[in-house]
Amino acid sequence: MYRINLNKYKILVGLFGLLIIPKLAFASDPIYIQDVEGNPIPHALVKIGTEQVLTVGNDGSFELPDNLQEDQEIEIIAMGYDTRIFQARELSQVNKFNLREKIGQMEEVVVAATRTDRSVEDLPMPVTIITRKKIQETGGMRLSEILREQTGLQVVGDHGAGLQMQGLSSDYILILLDGEPLIGRTAGTFDLDRIAVSNIERIEVLRGPSSAIYGSEAMAGVINIITKKSQERIVANLESRYRSFNTLDLSGEIGMNQNDWNLYAYFNRFSTDGFDITPEVPGKTQSPYQASTAQFKIGKKTKKWNFKVYSRFYNENSENSMQVAGEGSLRLADLNGERMDLNLNPTISFRPNDQWQMTLRSMSSLFQTHTLTVFQEDGSILDEQDFKQHYHRTEFQTDLQLDSKQLITIGLGHLMETVEATRYDDNNRFDAGYVFLQHQWDPSEKWNLVTGVRADLHSQYGERISPKISGMYKFSERFSWQLSLGAGFKAPDFRQLLLNFNNASAGYYVFGANLVQQGIARLQSQGLVQQMLLNPSQFGQLEAESSRAINTGFRWKISGDLLFQGNFFQNNISNLIETAPVARLNSGQNAFSYFNIARVISRGAELDWTFRVSENLQFSLGYMYLDTKDLDVLEKIDAGELFRRDTQNRSRRVQRSDYGGLFNRSRHSGNVKINYQESSTGVNMALRGIYRGKFGFGDVNGNLILDESAEYAPGLISWNLSLNKALNNGIMIEAGGFNLFNQTTIHTPNNPGTILFAGMKLPIHQLINQNK
Amino acid sequence: MIKWNQILAGILLLAFNAGCESSEVEKPEIDAQAKTVENLYAPNDVIDRSTGEITEERPFRYFSLENNQETDNREGNWDIAFKGTTLIVNSGTSGSGSAQGTVVTAAFDELNEVPSSVEFHSDGADGMAIPTGSGNGWYNYNPGTHVISPIPGRVILIRTNAGNYAKMEILSYYQDNPPLAEVDPMSTPSPYYTFRFLLQPDGSMNF
Repeated sequence: MYRINLNKYKILVGLFGLLIIPKLAFASDPIYIQDVEGNPIPHALVKIGTEQVLTVGNDGSFELPDNLQEDQEIEIIAMGYDTRIFQARELSQVNKFNLREKIGQMEEVVVAATRTDRSVEDLPMPVTIITRKKIQETGGMRLSEILREQTGLQVVGDHGAGLQMQGLSSDYILILLDGEPLIGRTAGTFDLDRIAVSNIERIEVLRGPSSAIYGSEAMAGVINIITKKSQERIVANLESRYRSFNTLDLSGEIGMNQNDWNLYAYFNRFSTDGFDITPEVPGKTQSPYQASTAQFKIGKKTKKWNFKVYSRFYNENSENSMQVAGEGSLRLADLNGERMDLNLNPTISFRPNDQWQMTLRSMSSLFQTHTLTVFQEDGSILDEQDFKQHYHRTEFQTDLQLDSKQLITIGLGHLMETVEATRYDDNNRFDAGYVFLQHQWDPSEKWNLVTGVRADLHSQYGERISPKISGMYKFSERFSWQLSLGAGFKAPDFRQLLLNFNNASAGYYVFGANLVQQGIARLQSQGLVQQMLLNPSQFGQLEAESSRAINTGFRWKISGDLLFQGNFFQNNISNLIETAPVARLNSGQNAFSYFNIARVISRGAELDWTFRVSENLQFSLGYMYLDTKDLDVLEKIDAGELFRRDTQNRSRRVQRSDYGGLFNRSRHSGNVKINYQESSTGVNMALRGIYRGKFGFGDVNGNLILDESAEYAPGLISWNLSLNKALNNGIMIEAGGFNLFNQTTIHTPNNPGTILFAGMKLPIHQLINQNK
Repeated sequence: MIKWNQILAGILLLAFNAGCESSEVEKPEIDAQAKTVENLYAPNDVIDRSTGEITEERPFRYFSLENNQETDNREGNWDIAFKGTTLIVNSGTSGSGSAQGTVVTAAFDELNEVPSSVEFHSDGADGMAIPTGSGNGWYNYNPGTHVISPIPGRVILIRTNAGNYAKMEILSYYQDNPPLAEVDPMSTPSPYYTFRFLLQPDGSMNF
């Protein structure tokens, strides 16, 4: 187990390299190693007998030595592919052959789980990898369109495209870009539509709490978006996709990888006319918007040092209109929104020898929004809001390879955040320091342990200790079982602490926890308070929301063509922050603040089957069962304090069996995916059926819980198809559609119905080389 | 315009009568019946939403539980009155009578006495007997759908001007008492109160 700077491959080469015996006197014609689609597989190993190993070049070719016995066995080994064994006679008669990809991306390297490189099959926790190829074949433009097709992940429209994982909402999922946290949330939601996908190399999905490494927010899990860097000497691509609702996505990238320098630049422009699922109401459901994303990465490697600077810029403009009630009539207003996002992420790492590696990294981010609402008739301003958040984190990480079985990671960090906003009071800087410690240990061939703990010291919520322990036992090469226990937390956000909001037309107030005391005192002095509903001594420090979770599951390679994986989880979450009324005002309305009041359980199972029927046909099935409950609601039901209405609207007691759990969670969800490569035309087809079962959309009968059939939105299945073909000159063309059978409900505002698309990718560097 | 429906008060009582003939003789006075009042129209004042000012004031609709009928004006012998989502009782700042009220959480049919812990209140500057505002008293307001839903399991207890106790449940705020799933606040007429109540005329706290 050597994970520093991962390179299992290099170690393999090193080992085998010693054995190479130089007797390649005569060479045959080159033989090419390809994947099933005909692309070259570079860097494979050709092992002849037990003694001789040939390396394979960038173009996937090698030449056989002449002096071989006809029945000599030759083994072809490549990472991520099934190994093949030939006899020398067979190989001498061909000029190319295929290797099949290993099923299920089990050898893919994951960074997010341990902050060191480690392959999926060695990780004792539930992790999935979405590869470049999978991203490409969905035909999606924004990150939400990729993640919604994964088992156990839902994308819910709530102040943007928010992710839901293990039944927990976007607030509790940490989003990383190349390992560094992204900021910028609206009402807790990180809008996945802010992220373009054409520069994504792979996505790591880590389920279960990871506060033991990442601290706040990593309560349900972590999404790590790893962007491309140049693998080839020179690379240049242009990509375009066009689809329904006049949506256009254009990308260009240029990369260079020479003399240990790596440069990569990317630009994306996205524009859409938006869509409207309620045409009878003025304004669109999805605002028309235009967004630009730019990314620049530069890196330089030496024997011991590695320098990297990554930067990203995002800008978005949206416009919409809406109807406002006022002065006895309905008036139309125009909405304009701007969002801007800037990240700068330099990293230096130093590796003096095989035991030590030190990394100093920082992430500086700015997230800014501006919204302006003006009346159409006279241009007068109805509302104007600004929001500006700064985030800065510096971290020093040391990895120490104690021996071949133990790797220790120590991290020390500081983070600083500030926010300025129309609705927030001043005094809005947070500081935090943290230290984390992790021990990865393989006590034997079959055992695999990762233990970690992190301590956070925060200016707002004090200190927190987050432990996690994960272990895996490999019963055989085919079957392993894993168990992971961890604690997660989420710090109160700016809104919960600093909001100072007064809805003038409805007459209610919302105060952040830091302001409620003075806010209520002010209302009292103005004579607006009729009655206090909570004792002011209950106002005070808002604590972090916290969870304890168990994840346990298995990976079972039933055969080389059939993989079955499962994970069972339970999250017990306490101290959830919700609003509660603190005072009743003379107007009859309330003043609210935030309190640690709710307790929730979310549990379920995530199951994935992958089956390769033949070389060019693969089939997979995913299913998630989810059960969520508010424990305080259960207590009230048991105490007989919750009621519902019968057909005559008379009150009846709610029974446990009536209770449907949390809103917006589907008990059943799943997917079926079929990938087919048509060999005569070279067309690749990916057909996916994505099912989201019925879910509660909101309260109808007045008791505020989910307990009645009228409170559920129906389940839907969205059939998505994409077809692509690579032409001989490297140009790739594609076409397809999402939600082909136009399944919609009013309760999924992010689902416009059927979308059709077509696209093209031009590999400029290949075209130039061909024309030389 | 208002129709009166009469409903027998509770299956429990029937079962009790059928199963236990001797007590039937001892308690002949248990003839209190729940009555349902349908479609009592009580429109709110007209308010300019941008300024919060009342542009047209409308009267409350006054109701006497004792007489099971409406009273013409504030000076009459009424117990409870309705306007918009606001409910007042005839005492304190609202009227010259002595009716008081409170709200408890219970099943209407199962509540067979006034709990001893209950305190009755008059309307006053420091609070209304039946609290106003979403979630405080008898209803919830959903800011997403704009629906007013009577909170299931909220029972209003009234001590009438005559000193008798009554329990009351608001069934609907919308015309013809539709299921809430069928209510569209833009098109379903409101406020049309449908409620049921049971008055114990003997002055005792049992229903």
